[in-house]
Amino acid sequence: MGKKVRHKIKEKIGLIIFLIHTYCLLLPCYLNWAQAKDFDFPEIAGWKKFSPILIFKPQNLYDYIDGAADLYLSYDFQELFVAEYKRDKKASVTVEIYRHRNPTLAFGIYSQERLKDAQIIEIGNQGYIEPLTLNFWMGPYYVKINAYEIGPEGEKTLLIFGRQIEAALGEKSPPPAILSFFPAQGKKAHSETFIFKNFLGYAFFHSAFMADYEFSGKKFKIFAIQGRDKKDCQEMMHKYLQKIGVAKELKEGLYRLPDPYHGEIEFFWQENLIWGILNLDDQNLRAHYWKFMKMN
Amino acid sequence: MDPKNMNRRAFLKSTIAGFSSFIFLPFPKEYQATALRTKAEKMPKIPARVLGKTGIKVPLISMGVMNTSNPALVKAALDAGMHFLDTAQTYQRGTNEAMIGEVLKGRPRDSFVIATKARLPQNPTTGLYTEEATEEAYAKKIDTSLKNLGLDYVDIYYHHNVWVRESALYEPIINALQKAKKAGKTRFIGITTHRNEPEVIQAAMESKVYDVVLTAYNFRQKHAAEVKKAIAKAAEAGLGVVAMKTIGGNVRGAYGAEEINAQVGLKWVLQDQHVHTIIAGFTTFDQMELDLKVMQDFTFSWPEREYLQAHVLSSAYYCQGCGLCLTQCPQSLPIPELMRAYMYAFSYKNLVAAQDLLFSLDLPYEACKDCASCAVKCTNQWQVGERIRQIVVLREISA
Repeated sequence: MGKKVRHKIKEKIGLIIFLIHTYCLLLPCYLNWAQAKDFDFPEIAGWKKFSPILIFKPQNLYDYIDGAADLYLSYDFQELFVAEYKRDKKASVTVEIYRHRNPTLAFGIYSQERLKDAQIIEIGNQGYIEPLTLNFWMGPYYVKINAYEIGPEGEKTLLIFGRQIEAALGEKSPPPAILSFFPAQGKKAHSETFIFKNFLGYAFFHSAFMADYEFSGKKFKIFAIQGRDKKDCQEMMHKYLQKIGVAKELKEGLYRLPDPYHGEIEFFWQENLIWGILNLDDQNLRAHYWKFMKMN
Repeated sequence: MDPKNMNRRAFLKSTIAGFSSFIFLPFPKEYQATALRTKAEKMPKIPARVLGKTGIKVPLISMGVMNTSNPALVKAALDAGMHFLDTAQTYQRGTNEAMIGEVLKGRPRDSFVIATKARLPQNPTTGLYTEEATEEAYAKKIDTSLKNLGLDYVDIYYHHNVWVRESALYEPIINALQKAKKAGKTRFIGITTHRNEPEVIQAAMESKVYDVVLTAYNFRQKHAAEVKKAIAKAAEAGLGVVAMKTIGGNVRGAYGAEEINAQVGLKWVLQDQHVHTIIAGFTTFDQMELDLKVMQDFTFSWPEREYLQAHVLSSAYYCQGCGLCLTQCPQSLPIPELMRAYMYAFSYKNLVAAQDLLFSLDLPYEACKDCASCAVKCTNQWQVGERIRQIVVLREISA
């Protein structure tokens, strides 16, 4: 084989390696693009969709929302699609769609960011509106719509965007079933939250639902910790008793326990659920609530 | 019992059954004075450093409140002596600030130090501010933070999430911050940076506007050495230096390996005297207790040293093999292989393996001699030309 032929073969091999290498480098971009096609941002009359649509993954969510990303990641954030719409030189609307691993986790992150005095509106599973913001939770999605320089018709514009995005996201999923078992008496409307990890600041208590209550002049919280099964709850209770230094044989039932950081908490453990009343120092009222829950 | 399948009847049945076994455990007279709190109270005084020219004394580890909505945890941190709290308006859309505000109610204003931050819209590709980023908009952000916190002033207000020099010097935000400082809404002005930190820190120093820098800093950073240098310069210039992302931006795990990571990450940063405090984003009481412990003694144990060595060595010597250098070198040198030889020689201390590899490569006798400076921009930010010069001379040494 002559030198020239060998050189040509080498060149071709080099080209093939280069093409494979380029393909490998571009593959992640292609995948992002391919997944971006999974959600089509709707056309909104009078507004121009500004390209490109941005996509963020767990690895680069920091680039978009900096330190706030930590909390999203702890709620199993999967991906974020961002689209910007423009109407004239100044007016713009940004739509952010965060997808989490499941609807409960999307509800969780939504509930962490919902303001206490939020003006709740019927959109998706639940949403609220502010002068330049509309946020809602729907299935595995947490949607945030922000408007800039849109003048006096801000709320109307946000609702138009909200409805169109809602329609584009498809079917609603039912809210977590356990929320319907929280006692209604004294419960503050739309105060339910879902804490995915480290509930009450203890790693052994995993996810929990919690709601705010106000009754007879007392403000307190009721929570429900869901275990995988009875054994899981038993382990949680066991670790908790160990942590607070209480030695007691464990069995299902009601516990009144002194927590070093939260004060007295009452727990009720049954099978794979642990209910609790927090920040309520009135023993009679606690008894009332347990009775109320029993009767409800 | 799966709540998905649980109906009201099943729930009531289980509840009634459960009430029949109502358990009252022995109840201490003063339940709040528990063993744990007593333990925290008995802890030795928390080691502190002075936050540069601000003169504020801060604990070695402070609380980054961003990941928790649990007021009891913030209260516990304050009670344990971690009196510097860090938050941001973007954390939980302001509910994080509001939660902290509730905790701070009734506490003497001089008993805590609070820092918060806000950002305005940036182009996510360039890091430059968009036209929505006005002085007025930033002034509103500052007022909103104060309202959320229920305070008249904060100790530090940070210009948040800057990664290019131009944005660090962005006048509308600087003007808003300077006016806020003059109006007594913030005692000091800070800047935060999560990437391209050396450039931002340098700009912050040159601007003469900023009193404090809050920077990502950890042993996993590929450019940790550059960040370290920038931090040293900033501290020497009198800026307060606060470190974040000390475990590489990972949400802290509760147990096991992740916990070791957190401890090593904290200790590694605390070894740097130019860092005045770390903001640690703990979410459990156990993590808080670990941080309190680390502050008292941040020397490395042997397993921690080995862990650190494994991680640092792998990032300092291990070529990722991205191959981007191959097209940049005018001499078409096999740079990934040369970097591998460098790792054999300087990390593994295996001169024979390094030489074997070098001799197997068809290298020119005087590699790099035609280039005045190296054109290769390594993704690991290595000085590739320098490393090549150091490694090729090994061909002359007898193994």
